[in-house]
Amino acid sequence: MVRQTTQEVLRLENVTKSFGNVQALNGVSLAVGDGEVVALLGDNGAGKSTLIKAISGLHGVDSGDIYIGGKKAEIRSARDAMNLGIETIHQDSSLAVDLSIARNLFLGREPVRASFLGPLAPLDLAQLKRQASELLKRVGIKKNLDADAPIRALSGGERQSIAISRAMHFFAKIIILDEPTNNLGVEETHGVLNFIREVRDAGHTVIYITHNIHHVFQVADRIVIMRQGTIVADIDAADTDILEVEAIITGADRRELAAEVRRK
Amino acid sequence: MKHSRWRALLRKPETSSFLILCLAVVFFTVANDRFLSPLNVSNLLAFLPELGIIALGMTLLLTAGEFDLSVGAVFAFCPVISMLLVQHAGIDLGTALIVGFALTATIGAANGLFVTKAGISSFLVTLSMLLLVRGCTLFATQGFPLASWSGESILQILLAGSFYVGEVRLHASIIWFAALAALMFYVLNYSKVGNWISAIGSNRSAAVARGVPADAVKIGLFIVTSLLAGLAGIISSLRISSASPVAGDQYELEVIAMVVVGGTALTGGRGTIIGTIIGVFLLRIIRNGIVLVGVPGLAFNIFVGGIILIMLMVHSIVHKRSIRS
Ligand SMILES: Nc1ncnc2c1ncn2[C@@H]1O[C@H](COP(=O)(O)OP(=O)(O)OP(=O)(O)O)[C@@H](O)[C@H]1O
Ligand SMILES: [Mg+2]
Repeated sequence: MVRQTTQEVLRLENVTKSFGNVQALNGVSLAVGDGEVVALLGDNGAGKSTLIKAISGLHGVDSGDIYIGGKKAEIRSARDAMNLGIETIHQDSSLAVDLSIARNLFLGREPVRASFLGPLAPLDLAQLKRQASELLKRVGIKKNLDADAPIRALSGGERQSIAISRAMHFFAKIIILDEPTNNLGVEETHGVLNFIREVRDAGHTVIYITHNIHHVFQVADRIVIMRQGTIVADIDAADTDILEVEAIITGADRRELAAEVRRK
Repeated sequence: MKHSRWRALLRKPETSSFLILCLAVVFFTVANDRFLSPLNVSNLLAFLPELGIIALGMTLLLTAGEFDLSVGAVFAFCPVISMLLVQHAGIDLGTALIVGFALTATIGAANGLFVTKAGISSFLVTLSMLLLVRGCTLFATQGFPLASWSGESILQILLAGSFYVGEVRLHASIIWFAALAALMFYVLNYSKVGNWISAIGSNRSAAVARGVPADAVKIGLFIVTSLLAGLAGIISSLRISSASPVAGDQYELEVIAMVVVGGTALTGGRGTIIGTIIGVFLLRIIRNGIVLVGVPGLAFNIFVGGIILIMLMVHSIVHKRSIRS
């Protein structure tokens, strides 16, 4: 399924996950190549967020394997995933709104002095502020944002930019975005889409979850569609169109059967 | 530049609490000249640090989005258990205190485990713990106060010794309060775990997604809060030479009021140690001053309640302003 020209960075084999008697993931297999932008589509409750939460260590899987860079990975916590180079911007906000931009950017990876003090180690506030300011400049947020301003004071788009720039900063190999353009205005949405292109050009791999099919065709190389916990289609963006994708998502269409047949 | 720095200062929740504290001091000084007398200041400062020490732990816990209603019961439990051991098991004071603190830490750990692992709200968990701990303490003493340590001991001096500054009599507790406040100020504002505490209270799932060990931090904070309440109880019982099973009744509410009046958000995410210190002074001074100006004892909670409400409204207005600009 992976294009021959690219190296595989992430592979899932037969991943399952259930919550009580809800089978959220039902044998998901997927491979993602280096530098690809993969759009993950599907109706509400299809299992998209559950899948990326498994990859980013927020909850385990019941069965199945995850391979990162060809090696089998044990992802038990968010930190495991971060250490493997996976950064995720979750659907339900990735930022602590009461903390400053700088403190959010480095949350969980704070630069400290006297690190032998463990959790009680003093933050290196000068470094924190300097790195945050540099980062804000680099990601090209137009407005002059103060690294000490609380996230609460930012717009939705600015918040998304902060979350995305955090993922870029830590040189994540794989950046996962779960509906990053929800509740965003037109201009802010374009900002996020531009970000995705920039991130890809910088050599990162992106998995992008959205309900907006138009956005998908603007940035994605590949389109993966889920329904009821399984992947029902995995197609090159160049080989399909909005109508077909829409039909597969909602199901009940001959084209979906055709896609199924093509897969087998 | 200078102008904006002033505006930033005005927007801090501590500033409005501090201004009201100053107003209260001025008002009571004018209303009754005994307010600043050495005797009254000594009385004020004898008891204030004991509540203050509990309030420090509560501030961190509230910042992380939880609270603890069992602190008043623990305040009685820790000294009572320690003194029972001294008097009935013939153990020396030091060892008895170690056992007392170990049990107190266990109470905190139990609170934390129930809240994080069983997912029960801290209101319900710590309310049950309040009844449980208070009940144990009453049962163990059959309701009678114990004579506290009266012999000479270096521990007694360290925890409850007193000294004079001018004509004002101070106790060791004020030094404990100051030192612990400095430590907690550092932890909350300048340490790595302080960043985690605020993040957990502000948006727990965001913190967890960044690899912050939220449950461990919360359990740790419950333990710290219990230990501080126990320490305050020990200090108090050594100071008054009595360990009463009904000591600390309703301290939980008094302490939570002090913390939120200082500007810490009950909903988590925003905590201030400076504000808590101001809140501790403000509430104690108001209680003390209201009596001095002759408000009848039975009416005085009306004033305290009203002043707390006003403070909370001021904080809410200041906070909304600071978001908008
Ligand atoms: N923590 C949970 N406990 C119980 N059920 C869950 C949990 N998380 C997800 N589910 C269930 O698993 C299924 C898949 O949910 P998921 O969040 O992955 O959907 P999604 O594809 O991301 O949908 P959306 O587009 O609405 O975000 C749903 O039926 C959901 O109710
Ligand atoms: Mg989702």
